[in-house]
Amino acid sequence: MDPDPSEGTVTISTFSNNVGLLRKCSTVSNRSIKMATGIPSYKVILHGEYGVGKSSIFRRFMNNSFTEATGKASTIGLDQCTRTINLPSQTVKLTLWDTGGMERMSFIGSSYYRGAHAALLCYSVNNKDTFSILSQYILDVVMNAEGAKIFLCGNMTDQVSSEGSANVVTDADLEQFMSQCQDVLSGVYRVSCKDCIGLEDMFYDMAKVLHQSSVSRMTLRRDMIRPGDTPEREVVSDKRRCC
Amino acid sequence: MDDTYDVIVMGTGLKECILSGMLSVSGKKVLHLDRNAYYGGESASLTPLDQVYQHFGKPVVGDKYGRGRDWNVDLIPKFLMANGQLVKLLIHTGVTRYLEFKSVDGSYVYKGGKIYKVPADEKEALASSLMGIFEKRRFKNFLQFVQDFDINDPKTWKGVEPTVPAKQLYEKFGLDANTQDFTGHALALFRNDKYMTEPCTQLVKKCRLYSDSLARYGKSPYLYPLYGLGELPQGFARLSAIYGGTYMLDKPIDHIVMEDGHVVGVSDGKDTAKCSIVVCDPTYAKDRCKKVGQVVRAICILNHPIENTKDAQSVQIIIPQNQVNRNDDIYVCMVSSAHNVCAKNYYLAIVATTVETNNPEAELQPGLDLLGPIEEKFVSVVDLFVPSDDGKESKIFISKSYDATTHFETTCDDVLDIFKRITGEDFDFSKVKHTDVEAVGE
Repeated sequence: MDPDPSEGTVTISTFSNNVGLLRKCSTVSNRSIKMATGIPSYKVILHGEYGVGKSSIFRRFMNNSFTEATGKASTIGLDQCTRTINLPSQTVKLTLWDTGGMERMSFIGSSYYRGAHAALLCYSVNNKDTFSILSQYILDVVMNAEGAKIFLCGNMTDQVSSEGSANVVTDADLEQFMSQCQDVLSGVYRVSCKDCIGLEDMFYDMAKVLHQSSVSRMTLRRDMIRPGDTPEREVVSDKRRCC
Repeated sequence: MDDTYDVIVMGTGLKECILSGMLSVSGKKVLHLDRNAYYGGESASLTPLDQVYQHFGKPVVGDKYGRGRDWNVDLIPKFLMANGQLVKLLIHTGVTRYLEFKSVDGSYVYKGGKIYKVPADEKEALASSLMGIFEKRRFKNFLQFVQDFDINDPKTWKGVEPTVPAKQLYEKFGLDANTQDFTGHALALFRNDKYMTEPCTQLVKKCRLYSDSLARYGKSPYLYPLYGLGELPQGFARLSAIYGGTYMLDKPIDHIVMEDGHVVGVSDGKDTAKCSIVVCDPTYAKDRCKKVGQVVRAICILNHPIENTKDAQSVQIIIPQNQVNRNDDIYVCMVSSAHNVCAKNYYLAIVATTVETNNPEAELQPGLDLLGPIEEKFVSVVDLFVPSDDGKESKIFISKSYDATTHFETTCDDVLDIFKRITGEDFDFSKVKHTDVEAVGE
């Protein structure tokens, strides 16, 4: 929906300027800057209880790795990661954001949600508490990231021992939950980060759903500035004064 | 809470969050606490609008001014200089990737009861009625001098010793009192006229910052983040968390635990978290601060843009002190739904100045008069505190209150100074390494 302004190949020519207050308005340079275009990019935030494996999903997304380490230390350093996904109609980019472990003792803060196109709500299939609390997370997403699509992901399917265990999230639980909030869920997945099952399909499906829903309401935000990666106005010594 | 940390940071204001981020990146084990349930402290953006009404003890209004949760109201108004220190910090720490900014539409200056656009390029300067045609020539020569000036190259000094006072520099270029006012306050952004007797290099440096900032993105030298300034502390908090910092909000803090004259921990009344260094804002260590003045601010809800600004969606207006017979300038900052801080068709203006009299609110009047009809007004008078010592012995490092300036330059000076006092060295930006890689496609 909001292509990264630093991406792409549409070029526009800009005015060349002398520095700041002294600059001329009347000369046009040949230099062109890259502007918003082409590859649609979607921000997806990971969300869910501490310890359900959000960072494991992030690692699989980032470089298809897995670590047995758990706890806060295993999350340190994980920030955000962008991947290109080739859909039949179009190549798109998914940027996945990890929480940085901030949910462990505190609140994540509204800033995390800004501009998110989707939230991937994660729970552990063998810990019902992490599943039951998701309605609260859905509320957070709806309040803070208006219009974001919501996807549901049950992780740790490799650890389900017996369906009879009281703490396992059963198909019946899932169905009941989905019927309660069917309008808000755009996709439901079950994965195992350890055995690497279902992850690639999930990323691909999310990209597909996000892209389909955005095609009709494509908007360009040309005035957005991100210091450091937005092209700046060119500053040159002006040799072609004409007034 | 009963763990051991290298540093405990209290308060999640912008300064504390930047420091928390820098300390985590430098390998320190950081615990970051806030007594409030939200990030930002004094530099938060309050949302929804009812939170603003509650903050000022007024009855809530719900969706009276458009949808309440479309509002993100800053308590302290500031803009970022596009080439200033905060932007450099954002880029070098990578925090810029968490945020989005837009340019501020225009910058205006008050002269003789009217406001004039500060010219953004030569064409605007030629057309401006801010000064006469001969004065423009003299002013242009002055700007050229400022642009060429290089402290390391005496040839560029044009016979002006860097030590001469700013006043003398103006006189050399024959600038009249109005142009001096305009240059010192609307370009160099000095808050009062003390700079006139100080070495002119400060004036040159600050004019250059304005000019270089203007050159970066065009319309004005200022940037402002979407969703309000409260996004900034959150961005730096994320940096800290990603480098291992632990966050606890909504945490009442009882007292700082001291031993032999230096800090050893922080207690919530029950448990004590141990640490050898504390960083906090003045509200967490009032007994170690002194009051140095007051700032008065009026947050105003408007249902129209400010007159004579060509319906700009975001502006700054500076009222130089001489124009209204004061010692300190009055600042007006206005933002709108263009920066996602108000509901559509509403505008948020903040008028602020340093308190000089016993009737602070009346001091804002020249600024309030420029706004036209005001729907709602929230006035606050806040004390400015500075730490009474440099923290080197107590190991409690306290930030200064946010002053009346409309940009973040003094904020960053304080942050970098505190970092140096804590660690004994300047921050090493090369330690920032993110996982923000472009993964290989399928």
